[in-house]
Amino acid sequence: MADLQTYGQDSGLKHTLLRGLLYLVLILFSIYYLFPLFVMITTSLKSLTEIREGSLISLPRVVTFDAWNYAWNEACVGVECSGIKTFFWNSVQMAIPAVLISTILGALNGYALTKFRFKGANIVFAMLLFGCFVPFQVVLLPMSVTLGKLGIANSTMGLVLVHVVYGLCFTTLFFRNYYVSIPDELVKAATIDGAGFFTIFWRIILPISGPIIVVSIIWQFTQIWNDFLFGASFSSGGSAPMTVALNNIVNTTTGVKQYNVDMASALLTGLPTLLVYVLAGKYFVRGLTAGSVKG
Amino acid sequence: MASLTLDKVRKTFGSVEVLKEINLAIEDGEFLVLVGPSGCGKSTLLNLIAGLETSSDGEIRIGDRVINNVHPKDRNIAMVFQSYALYPNMTVRKNITFGLEIRGVSASERDKAVDDVARLLQIENLLDRKPSQLSGGQRQRVAMGRALVRNPDIFLFDEPLSNLDAKLRVDMRTEIKKLHHRLGSTIVYVTHDQIEAMTLASRIAVMKGGILQQFDTPQHIYEKPNNMFVAGFIGSPSMNFIEAKLVDDNGKIAVTFDNNGQKVVLPLLENSPESYKSWVGKDVVFGIRPEGLTHKRTGSDKPGSQYVNFDAKVEVIEPTGADTMTVINLGGKEIVARVRPDRATNPGEMMTFSADMNQISLFDPTTELRI
Ligand SMILES: Nc1ncnc2c1ncn2[C@@H]1O[C@H](COP(=O)(O)OP(=O)(O)OP(=O)(O)O)[C@@H](O)[C@H]1O
Ligand SMILES: [Mg+2]
Repeated sequence: MADLQTYGQDSGLKHTLLRGLLYLVLILFSIYYLFPLFVMITTSLKSLTEIREGSLISLPRVVTFDAWNYAWNEACVGVECSGIKTFFWNSVQMAIPAVLISTILGALNGYALTKFRFKGANIVFAMLLFGCFVPFQVVLLPMSVTLGKLGIANSTMGLVLVHVVYGLCFTTLFFRNYYVSIPDELVKAATIDGAGFFTIFWRIILPISGPIIVVSIIWQFTQIWNDFLFGASFSSGGSAPMTVALNNIVNTTTGVKQYNVDMASALLTGLPTLLVYVLAGKYFVRGLTAGSVKG
Repeated sequence: MASLTLDKVRKTFGSVEVLKEINLAIEDGEFLVLVGPSGCGKSTLLNLIAGLETSSDGEIRIGDRVINNVHPKDRNIAMVFQSYALYPNMTVRKNITFGLEIRGVSASERDKAVDDVARLLQIENLLDRKPSQLSGGQRQRVAMGRALVRNPDIFLFDEPLSNLDAKLRVDMRTEIKKLHHRLGSTIVYVTHDQIEAMTLASRIAVMKGGILQQFDTPQHIYEKPNNMFVAGFIGSPSMNFIEAKLVDDNGKIAVTFDNNGQKVVLPLLENSPESYKSWVGKDVVFGIRPEGLTHKRTGSDKPGSQYVNFDAKVEVIEPTGADTMTVINLGGKEIVARVRPDRATNPGEMMTFSADMNQISLFDPTTELRI
């Protein structure tokens, strides 16, 4: 504390200059990262004629939501021309159960690994950790065989299963690291109070897991919603998630290239993850650091 | 309420033996304090009684019931933890009633129980707060409330006061004692504070390295410690140990030791144990508590007195108000005497001390056991 004060007094000018430089660098980086978004948004609000005539970075002369409407309701995905909306619902139906199931299972795993240290808990944890490093591509083939055997290939349920299995390593890791800092005595006290494994989990552990639940949900939602590889591999036609549909819209070779519709579709696809970050973002950072500081 | 018996209880973690054959038995309504240095296995023993750990061997009984394989919730015990372990997401009221709720006690009965306990512990105004909104002392009370409300056979306390500041610790100590008198319940209490042990216990179990060193009433442990560890651990300032020799002094047995070149001879009392005889001519450790070593007492010159005088040079004095701790040097060891303030002298001066031969202990220097 004292150090900071003397620092402020002794070198006020230097301090201000450094601050200024810092902000300059930050602003430059912000522009660098936000520029593509700016281009996407402006392009999506222009008409096709304006795009052809105007420059890439100009603001739209006439703001029109036609492209958005077209992307949502009419754009052609493959041969089907009813917009991206059905695929949006596919993604919702895939992401929400997958996120919730993987989060709940991760919480249960973390709880069991830290508070009910069974024989071999460390080995189980090490293997789960190993799972975090398995690349997507490696599981493609075994997974498609499994889905086929289970009879849920090319279905949303199949995709949910894939994402739950793949995400479990990460969610377990999150929850396990969070729960090691929760004192064991809490569980002991509840055990003496007469609560069993699941009662303790529901009544005591889960209610104090808020920050890490948010972390898990954001992480999983981003992964699952943005996933393309699993979506493209394990779904077909009408059951494809939004990312796959977006790819099909943008890569459609027939007719004129509708940049405004492409941009609108891409923005629509990205919107849900953005929304999750805005709504829960402040808990995200808090949750990521929560495990490291006690008390 | 019930008696508690531990019969040859052992506990191993892997290949490490943390508790070695512990035998303890207390009656209904007793206050047992487990005391010992850090890592000696006190918490482990308490966890065994609670059922949070399973013993590797031996039998634990509450009353006549063997509880080795009984689930913690069915042992009818309640435990207060060192960290209090209050449920952070619940209000104080919920914290206290959680155990009752799990056991299916009706809401109206729970309300009544929580009110009774809150009145007893004077936490009525805190019932709707969360644990994070409480001070250390208040949390401690809530933790006690959670145990009390269940009305268990046995209360288990694991260092419940060690997180409190010194003043509050003394206050709460008194309150726990009062509570025990009032409820007459059986209590097992873990601490590494020997003062807590002395003031609270009806019986003390001193442990070290997983071995029960002595199990007895506080007074007996204080006066007749089984070995040098117990002697040094209980009492503050701790007992002085002087390397000495037992000799035959004109037909009487006496302890003798070196006082900076001079020989001090302290004849033992007539009523000394027979066993001392066999130690004549051998080295012993002469143990005497600071209060057994005082300024020159009146009547100490008379023959047959329990007090024996000797002179020594004062090294340091530490006034505490009530007494002045006077440090002298015997055979390179610092020895503390408890002197009345008006009889204390300045460092560097010679002073006459009286040793109360009624308050001595002799130990075997190799086994460190009491002779
Ligand atoms: N789960 C465990 N696995 C292995 N060793 C353990 C385990 N729990 C405790 N121990 C060991 O058992 C010994 C006794 O531990 P315990 O917690 O009972 O000590 P304590 O007397 O309560 O100490 P403190 O006063 O520090 O609380 C210690 O050496 C400790 O390292
Ligand atoms: Mg302990």
